[in-house]
Amino acid sequence: MPNRLSSSLAACVWIPLFPLRCEEARHEGLAAFPTALLAPDTTRKLWQISSLARHAGVKPGMTVSQAIGLCPALRLLEPDPVHYDEQFAALLAALGAVSPVVEAGELGLAYVGTDGLEGIFGGITEIIDAIRLRIAGCGLRNGNAGVKSAIDNPQSAIRLGWGVGKFTAWVAASRAKPSEAVVVAAGAERTFLASQPIAVLPLDPHTHRRLRQLGIRTLGALAALPEAAITAQFGDAGKRLWQLAAGRVTEPVAGRVAPEPIVAALTFFTPVGERELLAHSLDQLIARALKHPRRIGWRVHAVRLRADLESGGMAEDDSRSAACCAPTNRSWLINVLLKDPTADAARIAAPLKARLEQSPPTGGVERLVLEFTAFAPGTTELQLFARDAQAAARAGQQRALRHAAREVRMRIKRANLFHVIEVQPWSRLPERRYALIDYEP
Amino acid sequence: MVAPARTPVRTDRLRAVNEPRRVTVELDADGAPGKVWRSRDNAAVVETVLEMWRIDDEWWRQLISRRYFAVMLDGGTRVVLFEDLVSHEWFMQSP
Repeated sequence: MPNRLSSSLAACVWIPLFPLRCEEARHEGLAAFPTALLAPDTTRKLWQISSLARHAGVKPGMTVSQAIGLCPALRLLEPDPVHYDEQFAALLAALGAVSPVVEAGELGLAYVGTDGLEGIFGGITEIIDAIRLRIAGCGLRNGNAGVKSAIDNPQSAIRLGWGVGKFTAWVAASRAKPSEAVVVAAGAERTFLASQPIAVLPLDPHTHRRLRQLGIRTLGALAALPEAAITAQFGDAGKRLWQLAAGRVTEPVAGRVAPEPIVAALTFFTPVGERELLAHSLDQLIARALKHPRRIGWRVHAVRLRADLESGGMAEDDSRSAACCAPTNRSWLINVLLKDPTADAARIAAPLKARLEQSPPTGGVERLVLEFTAFAPGTTELQLFARDAQAAARAGQQRALRHAAREVRMRIKRANLFHVIEVQPWSRLPERRYALIDYEP
Repeated sequence: MVAPARTPVRTDRLRAVNEPRRVTVELDADGAPGKVWRSRDNAAVVETVLEMWRIDDEWWRQLISRRYFAVMLDGGTRVVLFEDLVSHEWFMQSP
C-alpha cells in the first residue's frame, strides 16, 4: 500500500463547521435557531456553534450552563462523529472523481491535486467548476428520506482555493467568500501571502500570542524577519512557519490509495456502559481483526473504533423550552494513528484504551466496531522488533531525546546536555553518588 | 536515570552533581538550624527538622565529620543541611 500519488498544484475545498452543517442539514429548520454542538470528548463543553449563537455571546469551549445563561434559546446537539465521518468520506469520494490525488485534512477540509488536469478539463476555472459540480452532484444522504446532506445546506457553502502547494491553496480557500473561489496564480504566491494575517498559519495559541506581542500581524511581516531569528525564538516549528510565510516551501498534495479496511464488529444484547466490558470487547475485536487473512504480512498503522450509542430520547419539539438537546443518532468515534505500525494486539489496544478512559462514550454502547484503516508492510526485522515492546519503547525514547537535543542545539548553539551516571551510589555522601557526563546522541 | 554510554568514561568530562553549597545558618535554642541564608539577602526559615544524623568517615586520609539535618523550609522545600565538624562551616544540598 505504497503512497506514490502527489501533486504540487492544489485545490483546497473547505466547508467550515462541517459537523454543525451536517446537523443543520438533517434537522429541518434547525439553522433558524442559535445552535451549539457539544464536544465529542465531553458533553459539558461546547465544540461548534452557529453564527446566531455567536451573536448571542456564546463561544466554543464554554460550559453548557454558561452558554444557556447567555442564550436561553440555545439548541444543544449531541455529536454524531460517525455520521460526520461518513459524510466527509462521501465528499472525498466525490472529489476522487475529479482527481486521483485527494488528501483529507480535518473534517470538512480536503486537498485535490490538479497536476495534469488541464488536459482533461481545460484551464483552472474549468477544474474548479468540475470540483463544484462533483460535490454538488455527489448526492450525500444520511439514509433518511427527505433529509438533506451537509452539502445541500445553503449555509455550508463551499469555499475553494487554488495555488501552488497545499498552504497557498488553504490560505486562498480561507479568504474565499462562501460559494466562491480564490485562485493564486503560479508565481504570485509571495505577494498574495504577504498581506495575509498570521492566523492562517498552523499556530498554537501560545505562539500566536507571542507573535502578536512582537507586533507581527501579517505573513509579510514575519517573512521580513531573518529566518535565523525566528528559528532561535521558536525552534524547528518557527522555522517551518517562516518558510510557509515566505512562500519558501511547497507542500504537495499527497494522495493515498485507500485500502479496504478490515472490520470487526460486536453487537451487544443490551447497551453496555462498563468500561471494563468495553475494554474486554475491544481486545476480542482486535484479536479477531488481526486474524483476518488480508492482514497477514502487514502491520496496522491506523485504527478506528466507533460505537453506536443508545438513543437519548429527549422531547423533539419543545420550542417553549429554553435550551434543549435535539434528538440525534448518537455515536462515538476515535481514530488512532500508531506511531510505530504493529501487529501486536497489546500495542494496538493501548492507545485505544487510553482514549476510552479519557473520553468514554457518553451513553450505553449498542454496537462496537473496530476498523484497521491503514497498513504498513511487515518486515521480518520489524516484526521481531515489535515483539520486544520494551525495546520499542526505548528506541522511541532515544528518538525523542535525539530530536529534543537537536532542538536545544539549534536554539542555544551550545547544548548543555548530560547523562546522569552512577559513580558511588552506595556512598553516604550525597555529592559522591552521581555525576554528569556530556550527552551526545 | 539514563544508562551510561558504552564508550569509556573520561574522568575529565565528569561534572559533579549535587555539590554542597556553603550557607550561613542561624541555630535555635536546641542547636538545630532555625534560619538559613543562601546569600546576604536570601534567607529562609526552617519549618521542621525532619531527620538528623552524623557521618564520621575516611579518618585514614582526610577526616570527614558531618552533622546532617534533613529540613523543610517555609514554602515546603526539602533540603539537607550539614555542618562540617572539622571547619565548622554549614552547607546545603538536595536530599
